[in-house]
Amino acid sequence: MALYPAYPLMTSRLFLRPFTRGDVDAVHSYRGRDDVARYLYDAPLSRDECALAVQRRVSQTGFAEEGDRLVLAVETQADATVVGELSLIWRSAEARQGELGWIFHPDHQGRGYATEATSRLLDLAFHDLDLHRVYARCDARNMPSWRLMERLGMRREAHFREHGLFKGGWDEEFYYAILRREWGAMRQSTRHS
Amino acid sequence: MTLSLLPFETDRLRLRAFERGDVDAVASYHTLPASQRYGVRHVRYPSDVAEAVGIMRTQVALQRPGDVLAMALERKGDGRLIGQVLLQWSDATAGQAEVRFLIHPAFSGQGYLTEALSAVFDLAFTQFRIHRLMVRCDGRSHHSAKLMQKLGLRLEAHYREHALFQGEWDEELHFAILDREWRPNAKIFELSPRNRVA
Repeated sequence: MALYPAYPLMTSRLFLRPFTRGDVDAVHSYRGRDDVARYLYDAPLSRDECALAVQRRVSQTGFAEEGDRLVLAVETQADATVVGELSLIWRSAEARQGELGWIFHPDHQGRGYATEATSRLLDLAFHDLDLHRVYARCDARNMPSWRLMERLGMRREAHFREHGLFKGGWDEEFYYAILRREWGAMRQSTRHS
Repeated sequence: MTLSLLPFETDRLRLRAFERGDVDAVASYHTLPASQRYGVRHVRYPSDVAEAVGIMRTQVALQRPGDVLAMALERKGDGRLIGQVLLQWSDATAGQAEVRFLIHPAFSGQGYLTEALSAVFDLAFTQFRIHRLMVRCDGRSHHSAKLMQKLGLRLEAHYREHALFQGEWDEELHFAILDREWRPNAKIFELSPRNRVA
């Protein structure tokens, strides 16, 4: 099913909105950092590369067909600071699968923004996009990332060891997933936003 | 990696390349519902089997990533073909490989697969210098899961409802083993008494 959400998506403290050309410096402030890039496929991005990335994202705002992705800026309502980004990729139309991703600025960590923002996107994934299962991946050493997934109620489905090479060493990867009914139960028992 | 290693033998089996005359024997296990459920997914009729055997006949060496080595499991005693093991070299730089297998249900539970897979794992790790070997199986295939654990593979992944298969939610297990986990002492040879230092 095609989906073009109405923006911004709101949580109690945040806006989730499409990127605009004015976001290049904000994106560069975290995507340019070594500590942010360590577990990403990309190396730290230059300002020019960030400008290209932002340009691509300006149109990644809805789902028309399998394979489409949504990439949204996460902005504080209080002072309009971009604290990170979220993505949702529509992986399979038949089996209703999606993949979730996020990158947050280390300077704004520890305030629950990531949990609040990803919860909103999971609501969209299961409710508006009608997905059956959403999964996410991370490097096994990236503890903040998999701790977030566990807070969201995702289950560790896979722990791959040395299944490939990544940035000059053996890769170790976690897969986490959550089914629609599990997210529903999670939503009933906790309040994230 | 252009070694031609087939055939080779284990205690009770001969692992050899497929031949033109194998179609009937392969069809006897490949077209069974159980094989459809868990095995290679598009070989349903005898005509499909002939094509599959035709492909497997050419899979006799691992020369580049993506290549498959297809081995027929033949019982030494009566020469009967009872199943197959396929070794796929999936990635060269990271030394990755995948093993797929199928056995006629009439011959399962007798240790033939344990014997054949042990030999194939030895081959993968020693001859082909594989770093990590993985096996996928359906979540409901309890025999396969037990066999993997018996061989010392770790359960690396358990995907739940990640795809649809024949109208049902699929459940998939991934097992894996690293070269240093497979018979870690295999490279230490017992010295004969007269060569011992102490």
